[in-house]
Amino acid sequence: MALIFIRTTIIFVVLLLIMRLMGKSQIGEMQPFEFVISLVIAELACIPMADTSIPLLYGVIAIITIFILHQVVWFLELWFKPVKSVISGKPSVVINKNGVDEFQLKKNNLDVSDLIESMRVAGYFNLDDVYYGLYEANGSFSALEKEEKASTSLPLLLIDRGKPDNQNLGRCGFSGKVLEDFLKEQKAKIKDVVVMTVNGEGRIYFQKRGEYYKILQGEVNGQW
Amino acid sequence: MVKGICYTLAAIAVSLGLFFFSQWYMNKQFEEFSQALDALYTKVEEKTASQEDGYAVKTLWAEKKSKLHIFVPHNDISYIDYWLNEACGLLRNGEYELALGNVEVLKEIAKNLPDAYSIRLENVF
Repeated sequence: MALIFIRTTIIFVVLLLIMRLMGKSQIGEMQPFEFVISLVIAELACIPMADTSIPLLYGVIAIITIFILHQVVWFLELWFKPVKSVISGKPSVVINKNGVDEFQLKKNNLDVSDLIESMRVAGYFNLDDVYYGLYEANGSFSALEKEEKASTSLPLLLIDRGKPDNQNLGRCGFSGKVLEDFLKEQKAKIKDVVVMTVNGEGRIYFQKRGEYYKILQGEVNGQW
Repeated sequence: MVKGICYTLAAIAVSLGLFFFSQWYMNKQFEEFSQALDALYTKVEEKTASQEDGYAVKTLWAEKKSKLHIFVPHNDISYIDYWLNEACGLLRNGEYELALGNVEVLKEIAKNLPDAYSIRLENVF
Protein backbone atom coordinates (compact mmCIF):
# COMPACT_ATOMS: atom_id res chain seq x y z
CA MET A 1 0.00 0.00 0.00
CA ALA A 2 2.73 2.44 1.02
CA LEU A 3 4.45 1.52 -2.22
CA ILE A 4 1.42 2.70 -4.23
CA PHE A 5 1.49 5.97 -2.24
CA ILE A 6 5.15 6.58 -3.04
CA ARG A 7 4.80 5.61 -6.70
CA THR A 8 1.74 7.85 -7.15
CA THR A 9 3.59 10.74 -5.48
CA ILE A 10 6.57 10.31 -7.80
CA ILE A 11 4.35 10.24 -10.91
CA PHE A 12 2.47 13.32 -9.66
CA VAL A 13 5.66 15.32 -9.07
CA VAL A 14 7.17 14.31 -12.42
CA LEU A 15 3.97 15.19 -14.30
CA LEU A 16 3.73 18.52 -12.51
CA LEU A 17 7.33 19.32 -13.37
CA ILE A 18 6.80 18.42 -17.02
CA MET A 19 3.61 20.50 -17.20
CA ARG A 20 5.46 23.49 -15.75
CA LEU A 21 8.28 23.03 -18.24
CA MET A 22 5.83 22.80 -21.15
CA GLY A 23 4.57 26.28 -20.39
CA LYS A 24 1.14 27.76 -20.70
CA SER A 25 0.46 26.45 -24.18
CA GLN A 26 -0.42 23.02 -22.75
CA ILE A 27 -2.78 24.16 -20.02
CA GLY A 28 -6.40 25.02 -20.66
CA GLU A 29 -7.71 27.30 -17.92
CA MET A 30 -6.49 25.08 -15.11
CA GLN A 31 -3.62 25.41 -12.67
CA PRO A 32 -0.79 23.03 -13.66
CA PHE A 33 -1.36 20.80 -10.64
CA GLU A 34 -5.09 20.64 -11.35
CA PHE A 35 -4.32 19.65 -14.92
CA VAL A 36 -1.98 16.91 -13.67
CA ILE A 37 -4.68 15.63 -11.34
CA SER A 38 -7.32 15.50 -14.05
CA LEU A 39 -4.81 13.72 -16.29
CA VAL A 40 -4.00 11.06 -13.72
CA ILE A 41 -7.20 10.50 -11.79
CA ALA A 42 -9.21 9.02 -14.66
CA GLU A 43 -6.60 6.33 -15.26
CA LEU A 44 -6.22 5.66 -11.54
CA ALA A 45 -9.92 5.04 -11.28
CA CYS A 46 -10.27 3.04 -14.51
CA ILE A 47 -7.34 0.63 -14.35
CA PRO A 48 -8.25 -1.20 -11.09
CA MET A 49 -11.91 -1.02 -12.12
CA ALA A 50 -11.34 -2.76 -15.46
CA ASP A 51 -8.36 -4.98 -14.63
CA THR A 52 -9.62 -7.61 -12.22
CA SER A 53 -6.10 -8.82 -11.43
CA ILE A 54 -5.41 -5.60 -9.51
CA PRO A 55 -6.99 -5.22 -6.07
CA LEU A 56 -9.47 -2.35 -6.03
CA LEU A 57 -7.74 -1.06 -2.91
CA TYR A 58 -4.73 -0.10 -5.06
CA GLY A 59 -6.91 2.33 -6.99
CA VAL A 60 -8.49 3.66 -3.80
CA ILE A 61 -5.09 4.29 -2.21
CA ALA A 62 -3.79 6.02 -5.34
CA ILE A 63 -6.85 8.30 -5.44
CA ILE A 64 -6.52 9.11 -1.71
CA THR A 65 -2.85 9.93 -2.40
CA ILE A 66 -3.88 12.33 -5.17
CA PHE A 67 -6.35 13.96 -2.77
CA ILE A 68 -3.64 14.37 -0.10
CA LEU A 69 -1.20 15.80 -2.66
CA HIS A 70 -3.87 18.22 -3.91
CA GLN A 71 -4.47 19.41 -0.36
CA VAL A 72 -0.74 19.72 0.34
CA VAL A 73 -0.23 21.82 -2.80
CA TRP A 74 -3.24 23.94 -1.84
CA PHE A 75 -1.88 24.58 1.68
CA LEU A 76 1.59 25.37 0.37
CA GLU A 77 0.20 27.86 -2.15
CA LEU A 78 -1.92 29.49 0.53
CA TRP A 79 0.72 29.82 3.21
CA PHE A 80 3.97 30.22 1.29
CA LYS A 81 3.55 32.65 -1.57
CA PRO A 82 6.90 31.91 -3.26
CA VAL A 83 5.84 28.26 -3.52
CA LYS A 84 2.78 29.33 -5.51
CA SER A 85 4.87 30.78 -8.32
CA VAL A 86 7.04 27.65 -8.38
CA ILE A 87 4.11 25.22 -8.51
CA SER A 88 1.53 27.16 -10.51
CA GLY A 89 3.72 29.68 -12.31
CA LYS A 90 3.24 33.43 -12.71
CA PRO A 91 1.27 35.48 -15.23
CA SER A 92 3.37 36.43 -18.26
CA VAL A 93 2.97 39.88 -19.80
CA VAL A 94 3.34 39.15 -23.50
CA ILE A 95 2.19 42.55 -24.79
CA ASN A 96 3.34 45.73 -23.12
CA LYS A 97 3.59 49.35 -24.22
CA ASN A 98 6.64 48.50 -26.34
CA GLY A 99 4.79 45.83 -28.24
CA VAL A 100 5.10 42.05 -28.23
CA ASP A 101 7.52 40.65 -25.64
CA GLU A 102 9.28 37.92 -27.56
CA PHE A 103 11.16 36.66 -24.50
CA GLN A 104 7.94 35.96 -22.61
CA LEU A 105 6.45 34.21 -25.63
CA LYS A 106 9.49 31.98 -25.96
CA LYS A 107 9.46 31.25 -22.24
CA ASN A 108 5.93 29.91 -22.54
CA ASN A 109 6.59 27.98 -25.75
CA LEU A 110 4.28 30.21 -27.76
CA ASP A 111 4.69 32.08 -31.01
CA VAL A 112 3.01 35.20 -32.35
CA SER A 113 0.31 33.24 -34.17
CA ASP A 114 -0.67 31.62 -30.83
CA LEU A 115 -0.83 35.08 -29.28
CA ILE A 116 -2.97 36.44 -32.12
CA GLU A 117 -5.28 33.43 -31.80
CA SER A 118 -5.67 33.99 -28.04
CA MET A 119 -6.38 37.65 -28.69
CA ARG A 120 -9.04 36.84 -31.26
CA VAL A 121 -10.71 34.46 -28.79
CA ALA A 122 -10.68 37.29 -26.24
CA GLY A 123 -12.23 39.68 -28.83
CA TYR A 124 -9.17 41.67 -29.95
CA PHE A 125 -8.19 41.47 -33.58
CA ASN A 126 -5.20 43.83 -33.67
CA LEU A 127 -2.03 43.56 -31.59
CA ASP A 128 -2.34 47.26 -30.73
CA ASP A 129 -5.94 46.98 -29.53
CA VAL A 130 -4.57 46.45 -26.01
CA TYR A 131 -2.15 48.27 -23.73
CA TYR A 132 -1.21 45.08 -21.98
CA GLY A 133 -1.86 41.44 -22.78
CA LEU A 134 -0.98 38.63 -20.46
CA TYR A 135 -1.25 34.90 -20.06
CA GLU A 136 -2.48 33.99 -16.61
CA ALA A 137 -0.86 31.13 -14.70
CA ASN A 138 -3.76 28.91 -15.82
CA GLY A 139 -3.07 29.67 -19.51
CA SER A 140 -6.03 31.97 -20.16
CA PHE A 141 -5.50 35.33 -21.88
CA SER A 142 -6.34 38.66 -20.22
CA ALA A 143 -5.89 42.17 -21.60
CA LEU A 144 -6.15 45.81 -20.67
CA GLU A 145 -7.87 47.13 -23.75
CA LYS A 146 -7.53 50.52 -25.40
CA GLU A 147 -10.51 52.82 -25.53
CA GLU A 148 -10.55 52.81 -29.32
CA LYS A 149 -9.98 49.77 -31.45
CA ALA A 150 -7.42 50.18 -34.24
CA SER A 151 -9.46 49.18 -37.28
CA THR A 152 -12.36 47.19 -38.60
CA SER A 153 -10.35 45.08 -41.01
CA LEU A 154 -8.87 41.70 -40.16
CA PRO A 155 -5.04 41.73 -39.93
CA LEU A 156 -2.97 38.97 -41.49
CA LEU A 157 0.25 37.74 -39.92
CA LEU A 158 3.08 38.22 -42.42
CA ILE A 159 6.19 37.61 -40.32
CA ASP A 160 6.24 35.59 -37.10
CA ARG A 161 9.53 35.79 -35.18
CA GLY A 162 11.65 36.03 -38.31
CA LYS A 163 9.65 33.50 -40.30
CA PRO A 164 7.62 34.77 -43.26
CA ASP A 165 4.14 33.40 -43.93
CA ASN A 166 4.32 33.09 -47.70
CA GLN A 167 0.61 32.35 -48.11
CA ASN A 168 -0.42 35.54 -46.31
CA LEU A 169 2.31 37.55 -48.03
CA GLY A 170 0.98 36.44 -51.42
CA ARG A 171 -2.63 37.08 -50.42
CA CYS A 172 -2.02 40.75 -49.56
CA GLY A 173 0.42 41.39 -52.40
CA PHE A 174 3.38 41.88 -50.11
CA SER A 175 5.66 39.16 -51.40
CA GLY A 176 9.01 39.36 -53.14
CA LYS A 177 10.29 42.79 -54.09
CA VAL A 178 7.59 44.69 -52.17
CA LEU A 179 8.58 43.04 -48.89
CA GLU A 180 12.29 43.44 -49.63
CA ASP A 181 11.84 47.17 -50.28
CA PHE A 182 9.71 47.58 -47.18
CA LEU A 183 12.31 45.87 -44.97
CA LYS A 184 15.10 47.93 -46.56
CA GLU A 185 13.15 51.08 -45.77
CA GLN A 186 12.81 49.92 -42.15
CA LYS A 187 16.53 48.98 -42.07
CA ALA A 188 15.62 45.46 -40.97
CA LYS A 189 16.42 41.94 -42.07
CA ILE A 190 13.59 39.42 -42.05
CA LYS A 191 15.15 37.44 -39.18
CA ASP A 192 15.16 40.60 -37.02
CA VAL A 193 11.41 41.11 -37.30
CA VAL A 194 9.47 39.93 -34.26
CA VAL A 195 6.08 40.51 -35.83
CA MET A 196 4.57 42.09 -38.89
CA THR A 197 0.85 42.15 -39.64
CA VAL A 198 -1.16 44.03 -42.20
CA ASN A 199 -4.89 44.54 -42.51
CA GLY A 200 -7.11 45.16 -45.50
CA GLU A 201 -6.70 48.93 -45.15
CA GLY A 202 -2.90 48.65 -45.44
CA ARG A 203 -2.32 49.35 -41.76
CA ILE A 204 0.93 47.62 -40.81
CA TYR A 205 1.96 46.57 -37.31
CA PHE A 206 5.73 46.23 -37.43
CA GLN A 207 8.12 45.38 -34.62
CA LYS A 208 11.84 44.83 -34.90
CA ARG A 209 13.68 42.79 -32.29
CA GLY A 210 14.61 45.01 -29.32
CA GLU A 211 12.60 47.98 -30.56
CA TYR A 212 9.17 49.53 -30.00
CA TYR A 213 6.42 48.57 -32.39
CA LYS A 214 5.46 50.92 -35.22
CA ILE A 215 2.21 51.50 -37.01
CA LEU A 216 2.86 52.16 -40.69
CA GLN A 217 0.83 52.49 -43.82
CA GLY A 218 1.39 50.39 -46.91
CA GLU A 219 -0.36 49.38 -50.06
CA VAL A 220 -2.15 46.08 -50.18
CA ASN A 221 -4.36 44.51 -52.77
CA GLY A 222 -7.25 44.32 -50.30
CA GLN A 223 -8.58 40.92 -51.34
CA TRP A 224 -9.70 39.71 -47.89
CA MET B 1 -10.20 25.89 5.74
CA VAL B 2 -10.46 23.96 9.02
CA LYS B 3 -12.66 21.44 7.24
CA GLY B 4 -10.02 21.06 4.52
CA ILE B 5 -7.28 20.45 7.08
CA CYS B 6 -9.46 17.90 8.91
CA TYR B 7 -10.19 16.00 5.69
CA THR B 8 -6.51 15.97 4.76
CA LEU B 9 -5.44 14.73 8.19
CA ALA B 10 -8.17 12.10 8.07
CA ALA B 11 -6.99 10.95 4.63
CA ILE B 12 -3.38 10.79 5.86
CA ALA B 13 -4.47 8.83 8.95
CA VAL B 14 -6.50 6.37 6.85
CA SER B 15 -3.58 5.91 4.43
CA LEU B 16 -1.02 5.39 7.22
CA GLY B 17 -3.37 2.97 8.96
CA LEU B 18 -3.79 1.00 5.75
CA PHE B 19 -0.04 0.97 5.04
CA PHE B 20 0.86 -0.45 8.44
CA PHE B 21 -2.09 -2.81 8.66
CA SER B 22 -1.64 -4.24 5.15
CA GLN B 23 2.08 -4.84 5.68
CA TRP B 24 1.55 -6.39 9.10
CA TYR B 25 -1.34 -8.52 7.83
CA MET B 26 0.52 -9.78 4.77
CA ASN B 27 3.63 -10.63 6.81
CA LYS B 28 1.49 -12.51 9.37
CA GLN B 29 -0.45 -14.50 6.79
CA PHE B 30 2.60 -15.46 4.78
CA GLU B 31 4.53 -16.33 7.94
CA GLU B 32 1.82 -18.82 8.95
CA PHE B 33 1.69 -20.18 5.41
CA SER B 34 5.49 -20.51 5.40
CA GLN B 35 5.39 -22.49 8.66
CA ALA B 36 2.86 -24.90 7.14
CA LEU B 37 5.04 -25.23 4.04
CA ASP B 38 8.13 -25.89 6.19
CA ALA B 39 6.33 -28.71 7.95
CA LEU B 40 5.18 -30.13 4.61
CA TYR B 41 8.70 -29.82 3.20
CA THR B 42 10.16 -31.84 6.10
CA LYS B 43 7.55 -34.55 5.62
CA VAL B 44 8.11 -34.68 1.85
CA GLU B 45 11.87 -34.87 2.42
CA GLU B 46 11.32 -37.77 4.80
CA LYS B 47 8.88 -39.30 2.27
CA THR B 48 6.20 -39.52 4.97
CA ALA B 49 3.91 -36.83 3.52
CA SER B 50 0.47 -38.02 2.51
CA GLN B 51 -2.17 -36.57 0.22
CA GLU B 52 -3.98 -35.28 3.34
CA ASP B 53 -0.91 -33.24 4.36
CA GLY B 54 -0.98 -31.55 1.01
CA TYR B 55 -4.71 -30.84 1.27
CA ALA B 56 -4.26 -29.47 4.80
CA VAL B 57 -1.84 -26.84 3.46
CA LYS B 58 -4.22 -26.21 0.57
CA THR B 59 -7.13 -25.64 2.97
CA LEU B 60 -5.01 -23.27 5.07
CA TRP B 61 -4.02 -21.37 1.93
CA ALA B 62 -7.63 -21.21 0.68
CA GLU B 63 -8.67 -19.61 3.97
CA LYS B 64 -5.83 -17.08 3.82
CA LYS B 65 -6.11 -16.18 0.16
CA SER B 66 -9.77 -15.17 0.45
CA LYS B 67 -8.60 -12.17 2.51
CA LEU B 68 -5.23 -11.70 0.85
CA HIS B 69 -7.02 -10.90 -2.42
CA ILE B 70 -7.72 -7.45 -0.91
CA PHE B 71 -4.01 -6.64 -0.63
CA VAL B 72 -2.15 -8.78 -3.15
CA PRO B 73 -2.61 -8.73 -6.95
CA HIS B 74 -4.70 -11.73 -7.93
CA ASN B 75 -2.09 -12.99 -10.40
CA ASP B 76 0.40 -13.54 -7.57
CA ILE B 77 -2.19 -15.55 -5.68
CA SER B 78 -3.04 -17.72 -8.67
CA TYR B 79 0.69 -18.37 -9.07
CA ILE B 80 0.74 -19.93 -5.57
CA ASP B 81 -2.46 -21.86 -6.41
CA TYR B 82 -0.76 -23.36 -9.44
CA TRP B 83 2.33 -24.59 -7.59
CA LEU B 84 0.30 -25.85 -4.62
CA ASN B 85 -2.13 -27.81 -6.79
CA GLU B 86 0.75 -29.38 -8.66
CA ALA B 87 2.47 -30.34 -5.39
CA CYS B 88 -0.77 -31.96 -4.13
CA GLY B 89 -1.10 -33.94 -7.37
CA LEU B 90 2.47 -35.18 -7.09
CA LEU B 91 1.94 -36.19 -3.46
CA ARG B 92 -1.18 -38.11 -4.43
CA ASN B 93 0.96 -40.12 -6.90
CA GLY B 94 3.75 -40.52 -4.34
CA GLU B 95 6.26 -38.62 -6.47
CA TYR B 96 8.18 -37.14 -3.52
CA GLU B 97 11.24 -35.97 -5.48
CA LEU B 98 9.17 -33.82 -7.81
CA ALA B 99 6.86 -32.65 -5.02
CA LEU B 100 9.89 -31.50 -3.03
CA GLY B 101 10.86 -29.13 -5.84
CA ASN B 102 7.35 -27.67 -5.93
CA VAL B 103 7.23 -27.14 -2.16
CA GLU B 104 10.64 -25.50 -2.36
CA VAL B 105 9.30 -23.05 -4.96
CA LEU B 106 6.27 -22.36 -2.78
CA LYS B 107 8.50 -21.69 0.23
CA GLU B 108 10.49 -19.15 -1.78
CA ILE B 109 7.33 -17.43 -3.02
CA ALA B 110 5.85 -17.26 0.48
CA LYS B 111 9.12 -15.84 1.80
CA ASN B 112 9.62 -13.25 -0.94
CA LEU B 113 6.09 -12.13 -1.81
CA PRO B 114 5.52 -9.79 1.19
CA ASP B 115 8.91 -8.18 0.46
CA ALA B 116 7.75 -7.39 -3.08
CA TYR B 117 5.23 -4.96 -1.59
CA SER B 118 7.42 -3.42 1.10
CA ILE B 119 9.03 0.01 0.75
CA ARG B 120 12.32 -0.66 -0.95
CA LEU B 121 14.12 1.24 -3.67
CA GLU B 122 13.88 -1.65 -6.14
CA ASN B 123 10.13 -1.89 -5.52
CA VAL B 124 9.50 1.84 -5.93
CA PHE B 125 11.21 2.07 -9.34
